[in-house]
Amino acid sequence: MTLRVMEKGDLASFVERLIASEPGAVGPVRKDGKHVFARLASVEDLDLAYTTTLLPPKKYLFPPQETLLRFRLGAPPVVEPVLEAPPLVVIGVHPCDLRGIWATDRAFGDDHVDTNYRARREAITLIGADCLPDEHCFCTSVGSHLPEPASFDLFVTDIGDAVTVEIGSERGRALLERYARSREATAADLAGLQKRRHAKEAAVKARLNVDVQMLPLLLESVSTSPLWEQLGAKCLSCGNCNLVCPTCYCFDVGDLMQLNLEEGERIRRWDGCTLVDFATVAGGHNFRREAKSRVRHRYYRKFQYLMTRYGRSFCTGCGRCSRSCLAHINPPETINALLAEAEREEA
Amino acid sequence: MRPKVAVFDFGCCEGCQLQLVNLEEALLDLVGLVDVRQWREAMSEHADDYEIALVEGSITRESEIPRLEAIRRQAKVLVALGACAHTGGINAMKNHMPMEQALEIVYGDKARWFDTIPARPLSAYVPVDAAVPGCPVDRQELVEVVKALLMGVTPALPTYPVCVECKMAENVCVFDLGLTCMGPVTRAGCRARCPSNGNRCLGCRGLVPEPNANAHKEILAEHGRTVEDILAEYRMFVSSAEVAQ
Ligand code: SF4
Ligand code: SF4
Ligand code: SF4
Ligand code: SF4
Ligand code: SF4
Repeated sequence: MTLRVMEKGDLASFVERLIASEPGAVGPVRKDGKHVFARLASVEDLDLAYTTTLLPPKKYLFPPQETLLRFRLGAPPVVEPVLEAPPLVVIGVHPCDLRGIWATDRAFGDDHVDTNYRARREAITLIGADCLPDEHCFCTSVGSHLPEPASFDLFVTDIGDAVTVEIGSERGRALLERYARSREATAADLAGLQKRRHAKEAAVKARLNVDVQMLPLLLESVSTSPLWEQLGAKCLSCGNCNLVCPTCYCFDVGDLMQLNLEEGERIRRWDGCTLVDFATVAGGHNFRREAKSRVRHRYYRKFQYLMTRYGRSFCTGCGRCSRSCLAHINPPETINALLAEAEREEA
Repeated sequence: MRPKVAVFDFGCCEGCQLQLVNLEEALLDLVGLVDVRQWREAMSEHADDYEIALVEGSITRESEIPRLEAIRRQAKVLVALGACAHTGGINAMKNHMPMEQALEIVYGDKARWFDTIPARPLSAYVPVDAAVPGCPVDRQELVEVVKALLMGVTPALPTYPVCVECKMAENVCVFDLGLTCMGPVTRAGCRARCPSNGNRCLGCRGLVPEPNANAHKEILAEHGRTVEDILAEYRMFVSSAEVAQ
């Protein structure tokens, strides 16, 4: 990996040239006081001074709703797969969201390769950017606060008087060479980058009071905690926490017929384990009837089952669920309350 | 054989039928697929041999009950069209005041010429096979319901709340804009029409099957709504539900 440096004004012209020359460029733009990833018409649209977007960049890899195939009934039926994977440069992805993409890569790319996801993943160039936390970020507690070299094509960090650029792939290097003016990093630039990272770490306020690798063990010991009951009573089963999460990957599949009742399309749409009918199976039986078992299941997914399987937390600490839960259910408070309870029991 | 359909209205503004009329091209196709036998708002002929009855409006008068029962006897499939037919709708707001008072508000000194009973959804009197919720109904959903009926399947309504569609549309939650919202307890299917336009959801599609109304009411209170406000919110569209009492 190489570290390069751009002067501040050169970052803007780099982005401008990306927008002008690449087939599609998206980045964080303002929306009613928040931020969303959206098409950039010019560099003025881009606002890198944000914490998290409403939806994570996952929406470009696994859209809220997509058509998987079109069909025409008959003997034999005609089936035509649909695959849309336009090239896209995503600018300004924070380390937690890069970790989120690592997680969806596992879900859609490891054992069951999802063709649509893979094709879009190949077509996407990721230009990461460093960030400053708000009161809900807890990336440092799950180790997702630093950009991992294999997780991006380029990664930019504002170190005050200049911008460092880490090169994570050949694709990233080519973009930088083609569109940007940059120079080699000096020892002072490296020191500046270190300082910036320490400042960010220090600014993260929300935290899990437990070592991340202990989470599966902790959860195993608290499955009958009264806390689940309390959370279930508060939970609206609204699904907001699932829908905004960068690592939730559940979906529902259904057919949409045209009016001629002969042609139709098969669509998939985001689903969420906190929704009432998520665990309802054929015959109508719902094996997670109560809100408390659904909330608990969500925590076990993030911090137990998937962690045990992949060796890493499936929660990136982005805090989106905390921000969007009207009932104020959030991972730091939940995990810390469970920990306190486990410690009390031991004493 | 094209299925025979009839459209009826009870106490309502007929806005949902208007949505049906406004379907334009889609309607032409639908009319090609169904045989419309009776529809006061759109045609003059009428025949009583229908199989599917699309019924709009809530029951607000004694005299309407036998008429609805007759429709039920004839129709193989009875569909409640719109909030009034499905949940009682706006009409049912009057159920929380004495009936004489409601009559006076609407008809003034002519009140004594009219009879009225608390507004109830169709399902209070007859079994209902399917519903198209909303005030007014969502045209796209209406088409989906008709298609399902044509394919001989019971149309399934979402059991999840408006928040799901709202998040998928990546709206800023109106709670963050200083408003409150019925979205968390309201049945989805309108593609979060109101929050997508910066307005709060008023709950026109009725409650989800398992609303956590207690938790939702606490959230409304936390966001500055008084007890009266909260009851008013719940009484606007879902007043016949227990949680609005
Ligand atoms: S969680 Fe960490 S990495 Fe993500 S936006 Fe917040 S500070 Fe940045
Ligand atoms: S966002 Fe909160 S209230 Fe909604 S389902 Fe998740 S935990 Fe429950
Ligand atoms: S569980 Fe919450 S904090 Fe963790 S990744 Fe998902 S949205 Fe972010
Ligand atoms: S605006 Fe309403 S529907 Fe949308 S997320 Fe917020 S509460 Fe739910
Ligand atoms: S957002 Fe709410 S009030 Fe608006 S159409 Fe949908 S259900 Fe009705």
